[in-house]
Amino acid sequence: MKVTIGHLYPDLFNLYGDSGNVQCLKQRLVWRDMEAEVCPLCAGDEIDFGKLDILVWGGGSDKGQALAVDYLRQIRQDFKDYVEDGGAVLAICGAFQLLGKYYQAGEDRIEGLGILDIHTERCDERLVGNLVLESPLFGTPVVGFENHAGRTIIGDCTPLGKVLYGRGNTGDGGYEGVVYKNVIGSYLHGPLLPKNPEVSDWLLERALRRRYGEDVELKELSDEAELRANRNMVERLVAGRKGQRPFFTPADSN
Amino acid sequence: MRLRSRVAIWCGKLACTLSRRLGKGSGSSLPGRVARKIDPEILSVMSGMVREKIIAVTGTNGKTTTTSLMAHVLTQAGKKVVWNRMGANLMDGAVTSFVQAAGKSGRLDADYACIEVDEMASVRVFPQLRPDCVLVTNIFRDQLDRTCEVDITCGQIQKAMQAVPEAKLITNCDDICSYTLAAGCRNPKLTFGIGERIADDMPAGTGESVFCPSCGCRLEYDFVHYGQLGVYHCPDCGLERPEPDMTVTDVAFEDGAYSFTLDGRRIESGAQAPYNVYNTLSVYTALCAVDGPREGFEQAIAAFDYGNNRECAYRIGGAHVQLYLTKNPVGFQQKIFLIRRDPKPKDIIIQINDTVLDGEDVSWLWDVDFSYLHEAGVASIVTVGTRGADMEVRLKYEDIASRLGRGIREAVEELTKRGSRNLYIITNYSGLYPTIRMLDDMQAAGKEGISQ
Repeated sequence: MKVTIGHLYPDLFNLYGDSGNVQCLKQRLVWRDMEAEVCPLCAGDEIDFGKLDILVWGGGSDKGQALAVDYLRQIRQDFKDYVEDGGAVLAICGAFQLLGKYYQAGEDRIEGLGILDIHTERCDERLVGNLVLESPLFGTPVVGFENHAGRTIIGDCTPLGKVLYGRGNTGDGGYEGVVYKNVIGSYLHGPLLPKNPEVSDWLLERALRRRYGEDVELKELSDEAELRANRNMVERLVAGRKGQRPFFTPADSN
Repeated sequence: MRLRSRVAIWCGKLACTLSRRLGKGSGSSLPGRVARKIDPEILSVMSGMVREKIIAVTGTNGKTTTTSLMAHVLTQAGKKVVWNRMGANLMDGAVTSFVQAAGKSGRLDADYACIEVDEMASVRVFPQLRPDCVLVTNIFRDQLDRTCEVDITCGQIQKAMQAVPEAKLITNCDDICSYTLAAGCRNPKLTFGIGERIADDMPAGTGESVFCPSCGCRLEYDFVHYGQLGVYHCPDCGLERPEPDMTVTDVAFEDGAYSFTLDGRRIESGAQAPYNVYNTLSVYTALCAVDGPREGFEQAIAAFDYGNNRECAYRIGGAHVQLYLTKNPVGFQQKIFLIRRDPKPKDIIIQINDTVLDGEDVSWLWDVDFSYLHEAGVASIVTVGTRGADMEVRLKYEDIASRLGRGIREAVEELTKRGSRNLYIITNYSGLYPTIRMLDDMQAAGKEGISQ
């Protein structure tokens, strides 16, 4: 089985080691004796969304984002169709913002793709630091590093998870990221995937099932090192705090 | 001198003595903080007492080496030099170096000042320091959780340059980011650059160096030395790397060190790494800019230790131990380049911490291409530090085996006991000085063992 990973605008959106997410997905396929093809999709390239199984889109500088706007307009419809059809997407930071309707920075408004009903407003205070969240999708807390000036209002959309440590979408420590169909949007760098193997495999599984049918199962991998690095951060940031309820229990529904 | 300034200097000196007596910190910033509390203008008072020229050094990599090299060359030429030898490069650190150099009367006896200044601090420091010349070593991707983006760093330095419009700006024209930075400054300018290859091919830099700053088209590179430093041009708008005002030619790498010709002088340096060829060239360019002494430059360089007492070699047990500091992707890639160039089998310890000094975000490790360690004769790798576990994961995804160690001391002891003969230790900033002290002790203990 083969998975095609599209790396969107690697030349414009490559802040904070986000290309590590691509490397991570690829390796986890290779270790399972599956074939992985990585396609760098550069600004201006013709993009065949039908070929793609996972689209990875990283964070970009303000300059990079502004440069991308014209290119985005050209791929908007195809991108939207891909998402609605269940195509897997990982969008980090600037890319997460651009999935939404707009990014408002003072007087300036950058038009997003409008694929998700979310929007972002820039604030003076930049939110920089480690973050831990718990998500009903994953048994292990998700760890990462946020670094953003935007506050993203996700409205009725489902967040990726509840913030246990850090600031999150709106800076109030409530929720982080967004999940829509097979799309994950998140502010988390780190990069996100290597220390959160469950998130990687969530994307891989959904991509494989879309292409090869619902009965595809992923082979178990030894994630000892990954989980050690994950636990290192969780224990440091969350577990030691008094009054914090244990995070391994499923999230409260109320 | 105003009484207030004099009192500020006295109190700063007192703070220096006290902090040393009490063993609290290295005293590289506290005296400056105290002096500034008493006289907020103290830096401009003291910089005004420098007899000849003031040179500020900023940029991403090589600031400390370049500053100490500059101070060394000037001292060899018989000049009295104030410089921040402790590498403390924020406002307080700059003030501290002046306070320490001042006499009891508060007078400063100095011909030159060479002051390393943090990029983000330049906006506050330059207006008071009033440098005659500002040397920007290079602009690479650095601790992004602090500086956010390369564009922001450049913007800060440009703003700082506006405050000192007379100061000459010296930049590396092989660096497109520095080129862009200089283009946005109205100061008198001088450039340095190297037009012949001085290093093996290593992965080209990312992001900031890909597109033409003027038209947005993709840049083409004839070749890249390392990082994004190379010879570039824009196929669309015709922007191209300018001919540097100062360059080196006939670069040779023999017996583990670089030699080259610079302004008609043959320089036999102790530099083992290509970035130190740049650092040396940049110092010479700055000396030209301020019309400083250049006679004896060759001799001064030949006698210079590029390790700065930071990146030292040790002998522990039967092992040759080389310590390297790394703080950002380009720096780390260069250390891998140096390790790979050593044909002997080796073990490596990598220490990654995430204190505020290091940057709390370690995602930059994914901007380093570790695949170059595959055929580098590496027998084993141990990762340690508060983010040693992250480093282990990073290597795993390159299919490079490593082991998470409990601490650096244990790792060094174990490897040397097991008979490692060639050991590299790579650490980021917060681990540097503790590791130096530890290695000093271990080396001394070994010598005692032999003499007994």
